[in-house]
Order: sequence, then structure tokens, then C-alpha cells
Amino acid sequence: MSDHGPITRPGDLPDHDDSHGEHDAHDHGHGGIGKYLAVFVALCFLTTMSFLTYSSLWPWRDEPQVGWAFMMAVSCTKAMLVVLFFMHVLWEANWKYVLTIPAAMMAIFLCIMLVPDIGMRNRMVSQERALHMARESDVKLLERAAEAAMLEGMPAH
Amino acid sequence: MNASSVAIPHDHDHDHNGGHDDHHGHITLQYQPGLPLSRGKLIMWLFLSTEIMFFAALLGSYIVLRFGAPVWPKPHHVHLSEPIGAFNTFVLICSSVTIVLALEAARVNKAGLAKFWMLLTLLLGTLFLGVKGYEYSSKFSHGIYPWAPRGHIYERPDLYYGSAVRARLGEPEMIDKLKELDDTEDAYLSNEQIRGRIRLKKVREMVASPDQQPFDLAVVADQIAPLPAEGASHGGSHGHGGGLNDTFPWLKLPMVIPGGNMWASTYFLLTGFHAIHVAVGLLVFAIMLSWKLNAKRAGAIENAGLYWHFVDLVWIFLFPLMYLF
Repeated sequence: MSDHGPITRPGDLPDHDDSHGEHDAHDHGHGGIGKYLAVFVALCFLTTMSFLTYSSLWPWRDEPQVGWAFMMAVSCTKAMLVVLFFMHVLWEANWKYVLTIPAAMMAIFLCIMLVPDIGMRNRMVSQERALHMARESDVKLLERAAEAAMLEGMPAH
Repeated sequence: MNASSVAIPHDHDHDHNGGHDDHHGHITLQYQPGLPLSRGKLIMWLFLSTEIMFFAALLGSYIVLRFGAPVWPKPHHVHLSEPIGAFNTFVLICSSVTIVLALEAARVNKAGLAKFWMLLTLLLGTLFLGVKGYEYSSKFSHGIYPWAPRGHIYERPDLYYGSAVRARLGEPEMIDKLKELDDTEDAYLSNEQIRGRIRLKKVREMVASPDQQPFDLAVVADQIAPLPAEGASHGGSHGHGGGLNDTFPWLKLPMVIPGGNMWASTYFLLTGFHAIHVAVGLLVFAIMLSWKLNAKRAGAIENAGLYWHFVDLVWIFLFPLMYLF
């Protein structure tokens, strides 16, 4: 019986207790401070890119949808950088797909399922709701009132 | 890790036991986990996958509500400042870098350096919450609250709005205060307050008038709390400090922000849940700072870091959706 190997209890990973540093250095030796700083610079650059839609250089100022799509693309790129490098997913084994892909799909389905009942809630509305609902014309009305007040010199500024 | 946890048959180097024992007792039994990662990390990733769905639900409902709404307030209508949001984004990105550097330092057993980076992460996270608190207070000071009884945002300048203004002006304490204001001599009032008093008088006449036109009520709404013009969300000429509610803060008259109620609900819900996550992360870092952050603790730091990066990730989407769209 003496030549049995060590029997570890399910709670204790053989390499979890004292050889952690070694194991990690072996397992995750892909990072490196240079890489992290490069990702940091990229993230800062991408954040300022989001503001590009506000500048006069942006050619699609009349079509906000283009700007939104651009900003979402920038956000997704930033998210990928954080997940891949900072969260070390780039260097993980294949289990990463098991956790992330179903969760991401569920998240997308969830949003799509909200569209008919919530996204299109104003296609058919009761008279009651239509009466109290804000419209674009209300914003125009308020803007006209502000202009009129400006001309009259009524506001305190 | 895999190699050490697989059952390894020892057939050749135990011949001395003789033939009778060849088929039992020569196996090294070791625990083999289902996934090649530590339990803490596995649990953290499972938790994060539920968090993905939690925030996806929140962000998804925001997007769907926003794009399904007939009118949504522009960022400057609700006193949102893009530069402040961008600054907070920068702060969170920096804190993501510092926590990853804390992990790297801990892995090579530099406990002091790891503690320094973690402390910096804690400070950056606190700065984020501080800026968020400042933003919240600027919303509160403009009468935008996350809960209904305190909120007095109306969707449109219609008759219901007019009667709400009339009702507020007719409250007993209001009548006293308005009388007090009317009786105050000009010498005790600032120029702005003198002008405000004239404007308030006109507003009172307009809401009391039996033949109000929609445009009159829009004028009333504009006098009480004008929709700030673009680029005027901080210190601009029109908007900030221009309304009667700003001149006389005790007035607290109902105001009109088209789409403002749904905006306030989603804004406070999303940023609030995010802020709670930040606060929890800070609590974890504060606890970890009392440890010796050497290589033994690298696993724990990694898990806390994973959580923190996720919080950063949520903000990466929240910032453009809330401030720039």
C-alpha cells in the first residue's frame, strides 16, 4: 500500500496550494507589461475616436445612425481588447467558448425578444397614452418658446 | 496542471510486488477537475456569465426603450456632460490597467508593488464614484430624480402641465412664500431675482388665464426650466441658471422635458447598478489590501481583477449609449 501516490481530496487541486506562482508563470506567461500598456493606449485612442462623430470632420452629421453604428463598433473593439488581453481570454483554453458564447447569445436573444412588446410599443397606443405622450412637436414648441423669450428679452440672461 | 491531475498508471516500476498484485494498487489517484482551471476562477467566470446576461438585459431594455420612444431627450436637455463621462471612462480604463499590473507584480512575488497598484486601483475606483456622485447631484439640483414622488417632469406642455403648475402655485406654503416675495423691497433682491419676480408674475397670470394656448404653456415651461441649448450643459448662457426654478430654488415648479421620465428611469437604473458594482469591487480591493499580496494570492487577485474588468466593460458600453447617442 505504501506505493500509492498521494490521494488528493476533491477540494484541493494538486497545484493550487503552494506551487501557484510557478503554475501561473507557466500558464499565463503571455501577458507582459508592454502588451498591457499597448492595450491601454489603444483604449484611450478608441475613446477619443468616439468623439470623432462630434467634430466638424464627421461627414454624416445629418444621419445620426451612422454615428451610432460607428460608436458601437468602437465600443465592441474596446470590449474585445479588455476581454482578450486584460481578462486573459486570448490565452485561455477552449472552455472560454462554453461560457462566453451561450451567455452572449442569450443576451442577444433577450434584446431581440424585447423589440415587439417594448420597442414597438408606440405603433399602436391607446387614446389615453397618445394624449400624454411627448412628441417631436413638443420639443419644437419649446424651442420656439425659447426663441420668442430670447427676442422679448424675457429670460434673466 | 493537466498532466499532474490525470490518473497515471504505474505498471513498470513496481515489479517487486510480485505477480499477484499486478492489477490493483498501482494507480496514483488524483483529483481531476472538469475544466482546467481553479475552482475560484471557474466560479468567477460562471458568475460573470450571469452578469453578462444581467447587464445585457438592462442595456438591451434601455436600447429598445430609447429607440422605441417617440422623443428622447438630447444629452444637453438633461444636463449630461460628455467630457465628464469621457473622463470617467478614462479613469476606469486606467484602473483596469493598474489591477492587471497588480496581478503581474503578485505573480513574481513583489508584494509591495502589487499592493501599490491595488491601492491605485482603489483610488481610481473611488474617483469614479466621486465623479458619478457629482453628476447625480447636478441632476438632483435640476429637479431630475430617479423616484416618482420627488420628480416633477412632465412630458409635454399641455393642459395637465398647466394645471400642475397652477396646483403647485396654489399650495398654502407657496401662497405665503409668493406673498413674501412680492412684498420684498427691490433693495433686498439681486437683479436676477428682480427680473425673476417679473417673469414669475407673468407665469402666474398665464397659468391662471382661462384661454391658454399650447404655445402659452410652452412659454410657461420655458420660463420655469428651459431646455438647455446644445453645448450649454455647463455654464452656458441659456439653460443653466436661466429658469425660474434656478432663480428661486424653493419654487420647485413642474417642468417639461419631453421623454424625460423614461430617460431618468433608465439613466439612474443603469448607472446606479453599475455604481453598485463599482462599490462592491472597491470593497473587495479594500479587504485584499489588508493581505500580503504575494504569489499565493495571485489567484484571488486574478478573480477580483476579472470582476473589475467586467465592470469596466459595462461602462465601455454605458458611456456612448448614455452620453453620446
